[in-house]
Amino acid sequence: MSKQYYVESKPAAGGVISGNGMKADAKVAYVDDKPYEVKEGETILSLIRRHFGKGAVPTLCDAPNLEPFGSCRVCSVDVALSKGGPVKTMASCHTPVIPGSFIYPESDRVQKLRKNIIELVLTDHPLDCLTCEVNNNCELQEVAARVGIRDVRYPEGKTHLDKKKDLSHAYMTSDFSKCINCFRCVRACDEVQGQFVLSMGGRGFDSHIIKGMEVNFKDSDCVSCGACAQACPTSAISDIFESKSIQVDEKVRTVCTYCGVGCNLEVAVKGGKIKSIQAPYEAETNQGHTCLKGRFAFAFYNHKDRLRTPLIKKNGEFVEATWEEAYDHIATKLTEIKNKYGGDAIAGISSSRGTNEENYLMQKFIRAVMGTNNIDCCARVCHSPTAIGMQRSFGTGAATNSIKDIKLTDCILVIGANPTDGHPVTGAKLKQFAISGKTSIVIDPRRTELAKYATYHLQLRPGTNMAIMNMMLYYIISEGLEDKNFIEKRTEGYEEFKQEILGQNIDELEAICGVDKNLVREAAIAYAKAPNAMEFHGLGVTEHSQGTHTIMMISSLAMITGNVGRPGVGVNPLRGQNNVQGSADMGCQPYQGAGYFEVSDPVYHKKYEEFYNAKLPNYNGLKIPQMYEAALNDKLKAMWVIGEDMAQTDPNTHHVVNALSKLELFVVQELFMTETAKLATVILPASSFLEKSGTFTNGERRIQRVNAVVAPIEGTKSDGQVMVDIMNRMGYKQPELYDPEWVLEEISQIVPFFEGVKWDELGGDGKQWPVNKEGKGTDILHTETFKRGKGKFIHNNYKKSKELVENEKQYPYIITTNRELEHYNCGAMTRRTNNVLIVTDDVLMINPVDAAKHQIVDGDMVCVESPRGKVDVKAKITDEVKPGILSSTFHFPEVMMNNITSSVSDSEAMCPEYKVVACNIRKSKGEYKKPKATV
Amino acid sequence: MGVKLLLEHDKVEGIRYYDTYRKNGGYRAAEKALKMSPADIVEEVKKSGLRGRGGAGFPTGLKWSFLAKPEGVPRHLVCNADESEPGTFKDRYLMEFHPHLFIEGLLISSFALGSNTTYVYIRGEYAWIPDILEQAIDEAKNNGWLGKNIQGTGFDCEIYVHRGAGAYICGEETALIESLEGKRGNPRMKPPFPAIQGVWMRPTVVNNVETLAAVVPIINLGGDEYAKIGVGKSTGTKLMSACGNINKPGVYEIDMTISVEEFIYSDEYCGGIRNGKKLKACIPGGSSVPILPANLLLKTAKGETRLMNYESMSDGGFVSGSMIGSGGFEVLDEDQCIVKHTMTLARFYNHESCGQCSPCREGTGWMYKILKNLEYGKGKMSDIDLLWDIQRKIEGNTICPLGDAAAWPVAAAIRHFRDEFEWHVLNPDESQKRNYGLAHYADPIHVAASA
Ligand SMILES: Cc1cc2nc3c(=O)[nH]c(=O)nc-3n(C[C@H](O)[C@H](O)[C@H](O)COP(=O)(O)O)c2cc1C
Ligand code: SF4
Ligand code: SF4
Ligand code: SF4
Ligand code: SF4
Ligand code: FES
Repeated sequence: MSKQYYVESKPAAGGVISGNGMKADAKVAYVDDKPYEVKEGETILSLIRRHFGKGAVPTLCDAPNLEPFGSCRVCSVDVALSKGGPVKTMASCHTPVIPGSFIYPESDRVQKLRKNIIELVLTDHPLDCLTCEVNNNCELQEVAARVGIRDVRYPEGKTHLDKKKDLSHAYMTSDFSKCINCFRCVRACDEVQGQFVLSMGGRGFDSHIIKGMEVNFKDSDCVSCGACAQACPTSAISDIFESKSIQVDEKVRTVCTYCGVGCNLEVAVKGGKIKSIQAPYEAETNQGHTCLKGRFAFAFYNHKDRLRTPLIKKNGEFVEATWEEAYDHIATKLTEIKNKYGGDAIAGISSSRGTNEENYLMQKFIRAVMGTNNIDCCARVCHSPTAIGMQRSFGTGAATNSIKDIKLTDCILVIGANPTDGHPVTGAKLKQFAISGKTSIVIDPRRTELAKYATYHLQLRPGTNMAIMNMMLYYIISEGLEDKNFIEKRTEGYEEFKQEILGQNIDELEAICGVDKNLVREAAIAYAKAPNAMEFHGLGVTEHSQGTHTIMMISSLAMITGNVGRPGVGVNPLRGQNNVQGSADMGCQPYQGAGYFEVSDPVYHKKYEEFYNAKLPNYNGLKIPQMYEAALNDKLKAMWVIGEDMAQTDPNTHHVVNALSKLELFVVQELFMTETAKLATVILPASSFLEKSGTFTNGERRIQRVNAVVAPIEGTKSDGQVMVDIMNRMGYKQPELYDPEWVLEEISQIVPFFEGVKWDELGGDGKQWPVNKEGKGTDILHTETFKRGKGKFIHNNYKKSKELVENEKQYPYIITTNRELEHYNCGAMTRRTNNVLIVTDDVLMINPVDAAKHQIVDGDMVCVESPRGKVDVKAKITDEVKPGILSSTFHFPEVMMNNITSSVSDSEAMCPEYKVVACNIRKSKGEYKKPKATV
Repeated sequence: MGVKLLLEHDKVEGIRYYDTYRKNGGYRAAEKALKMSPADIVEEVKKSGLRGRGGAGFPTGLKWSFLAKPEGVPRHLVCNADESEPGTFKDRYLMEFHPHLFIEGLLISSFALGSNTTYVYIRGEYAWIPDILEQAIDEAKNNGWLGKNIQGTGFDCEIYVHRGAGAYICGEETALIESLEGKRGNPRMKPPFPAIQGVWMRPTVVNNVETLAAVVPIINLGGDEYAKIGVGKSTGTKLMSACGNINKPGVYEIDMTISVEEFIYSDEYCGGIRNGKKLKACIPGGSSVPILPANLLLKTAKGETRLMNYESMSDGGFVSGSMIGSGGFEVLDEDQCIVKHTMTLARFYNHESCGQCSPCREGTGWMYKILKNLEYGKGKMSDIDLLWDIQRKIEGNTICPLGDAAAWPVAAAIRHFRDEFEWHVLNPDESQKRNYGLAHYADPIHVAASA
């Protein structure tokens, strides 16, 4: 019997046989006649691998993130129920260990069987390993060598070696002559992504992987997540970057920059260039999965359009400058403005794409050096209402639970979010949850992908979340389903709240939101009755005039049902940008500094002044919309913006452009010449996330390390370095060289919940804040008490948006905005990748009824007109939206959707109301403008 | 004449229709059963000793008692009417000519198992039979035997007929369940067994058509009486579908005491070998079971007369015996070529393998390819050993028993007819022109004195 694969073997810990070491009641099984402890319900494979290492049993159809499948039979082992008893060969990957059984993983019989199976498989496999893209990283090759195949005994016969390659898709490729029918790709598509694109066609020898109804990748429903390619043990399914090839110099682990899920990426580098990206299986955030943005959309990083030198605008033209010149220019101008008009004439907008360290430095620069609280960030346009609303209800403006809790919950409630497009990896988990048939409730004006699978879809009119929330709470109270114990022990303000809710006119609310009240009732009951219910929300809640109030109602919904403070429950904002959480934590808002202390509170004002050793204003600064107003009124003279394209993404474009054009100094740090950059007076070329280090905090408060994969593109600097440079230049001394380690150290001294965070200790998966002194993170908040002591019930009535009150007569349609999986925000990055080959332009979703009314057919250009302006967009006729409702994306500058959006914003957080715009439509006379291909 | 329980009214005109069936004692068992407790019905079935008629011969009462009954979770009875095993057509006969007997059996079994929704998964090629069944279901419903509150007992039961799409593998119970759920018919890994997680992940019993029909006489007679018919563990009657080189192919109900010889030669059953030829070999229980040469078919290795029942047919194990299987009885006369016949079966299994397991997918393909070479005079002596090796690597090493079913016929053919294979290799040209013939396969076997 060969022993060479038995790498490590815990000395047979006696147990039943020699009676030492092992717990008396421990169950054991015998491997080669030595006892080993068995874990409850584990498979034979897991037992052997746990004790002898991964290589101990060869496998082909088994994969780390997939359910056992049992089809290749390479993992077979011999099993006897008693010593010397009859032996049966079993597939170890799916057969549970029978305690007391005798397992022989390398018996002669098993060795012969494995060899024979691989031999059979190889009869239909091209033997061109040396030129294959996965050479030396191929599981078939590995297993063949492992079982000792030398020659194949079979005569020539029919094979599948002449199968054609599929190169139709922007990213995915297939070459099924290499396919060994292990079903891993099929299972990855089903079990991980939930897209059901791949399946097996034909039977027996004719079995072959098919995409959709035997189409190619391009024409299939594939969402390019790449899970199948990563799962495939050979090169049968791969991608254009040949991600499985091992022809690389090194692999660097870092964090995706495209959304708040915070997927870990493993980036392969060769010759200083990025070759490809894969997902580490052991990463807690994404367990080997990503979406196409994380995995494939990296080519922008060395695109020819990257800004590579500072530019100063002279006489309306950008002129190339050195960094020294640019810094001089900026420092001089800022000093001049500050002296003449005071620090409040200066404002900064930080970037939620940037690292915690960069955000921290930016707000420090604006506050300590410029002497103003005029600092804000793009959270303003997305989750600022979440932060404020949840702070008021719970005391902390962050997700209460972790994404892994999806596995533990009994019911999900998803409000105003389209996670399968916006937060794809979490979206896939939610979709798997819904498909599994467990209770899922979706509240959204659009029939999103998740809504199609949900138990309840409350398809409300845009802007009426408050109406639905009032209705749900009404039914929970009137059905007597509130958690009285929780309410009494852990909350306050319930009695008044209850009276307000019971005083609602349900029929009126029903008419307002346009959803059958019985359906709302059923959904409310389902949510309340679930043992554990978990809430998620996105910008469909926050980007409204009543955003903050709705968040407080959602918090109340969780409290009234006792769904706070344990696994599988809570209120969980799906953070849009990768570091929205972090930029707020770091103090990039005009009313709170790093760690969320009020700048106007004398105690904290003093604390900050001491900490920064500078004089700071003790009143709130300007929020982004107020900055525009101030600029238009000549109160604001200078602005500094990091990586934010307000001209394309902020509402009411004309208004924004006018304001920005009036500035004396407008510094923009950017990767590309965006619409906003064009308005700058100075442009500083920035480095992308692949070129810098620091930390991002994802939507579940997980502080994760971002590690530079390649050196900054020549001529660019990281935002952190720029901040350090400018502070030094303006006489506020900082270490010359920017390094996240010292910044993080400084942060840990001022931000209480970062207290125990240390760069060296973050490891691969990071830590979830609050991190205590001892360095221990927290996966669930408010377990014993709320951050604010007792949770507070705060009621508000539905109020119609000013936008509709004023305009609905002339503009009877409501247009709302949405995102496409393939593109990120203004698209500056994703439009410079092959993603544009998949989604080529913005589209306007329109119900067939409305389309017919205006004689619009699919693909027609439609003119959408609002009180602010008009745009032409391509029509997509679909029943995903109800009649009277339109929805559009805003990724392409050719359309400039925000020409029509309004300046109405959330009453509390001033988050703009992107989601409700009154408009009118007609068939356009305009020509279809094909977006410029930028790849 | 042996006892007839299922085909008792075979000659009655119009037995296919409700009124005639009822007049001839139909639904009497149902009447009786609905007054019993479900547990008592299961008990009667246990006592009857009924063994599954789908092939494996698993005791039905025992299978029923394994059904999990978690609170609030519906349970299902699924009837396996996929009958696609070459040589087997007894279920078709029952469903086509005795639909009400079948439905009565389904009803009683559904009641016993607590299945309010029962499915009949029927072979796609039986295109005309669903109409017959659905008509009978309507009649039964109109007469209060199906639907809501059956005969005032408060028991509800609907029967749905689901048409298959032409895959043999969908007769395997877990593949059938997948297919019923609308998915590709790939067998599932076990555990979990259907009794715990079957259709829609609910507890499920899968039974053959004949098995369920047999529940009717069991209730009519009582389990103990039923068990008295037959011998040993082969109780009751069994339907055999006889085909091949015989004078009277067809479906016969036998009590399991008759000898194989009687079955083949008596006029009541197969009526002898056609055209006065000699018997060379026979596959006694559907294409998957081992083929036996004439001498081992009629007598066991011990020299005893072989009987048409579970125990006797498998006497000697696979070395010298076979199985009663699904009751597909295929007779081969002296003109038949075993190599060709084995190749035909190998082609079938290669075509029908679902393709999940590498040993089955690739192995069935290679067995067919090699047998084709042998049959067409292109084989080598080493091919015979290779064939043997492949079938050994398939058997027991796959997700479902189709792998075994594909391996056994090849193994048995080599085991018993090796010289015919060798003759093909040694005489490539001659083997293209003539058959090997009867050779010694009907010679009396030498019974070794017991050691
Ligand atoms: C490949 C394969 C095909 C099968 N086909 C059938 C079939 O057509 N009809 C049938 O009743 N059982 C068939 N079976 C057996 C079933 O899996 C199952 O054992 C049977 O339906 C149980 O019913 P019983 O207990 O009443 O015999 C097949 C098994 C295999 C492995
Ligand atoms: S890339 Fe993702 S969606 Fe596309 S086929 Fe593969 S697993 Fe399915
Ligand atoms: S394409 Fe790859 S993963 Fe899919 S079945 Fe073939 S070898 Fe397996
Ligand atoms: S889900 Fe989000 S974090 Fe993950 S890869 Fe996609 S964009 Fe990146
Ligand atoms: S043994 Fe054959 S038919 Fe059965 S599951 Fe495996 S491949 Fe499919
Ligand atoms: S790894 Fe166990 S059967 Fe493939």
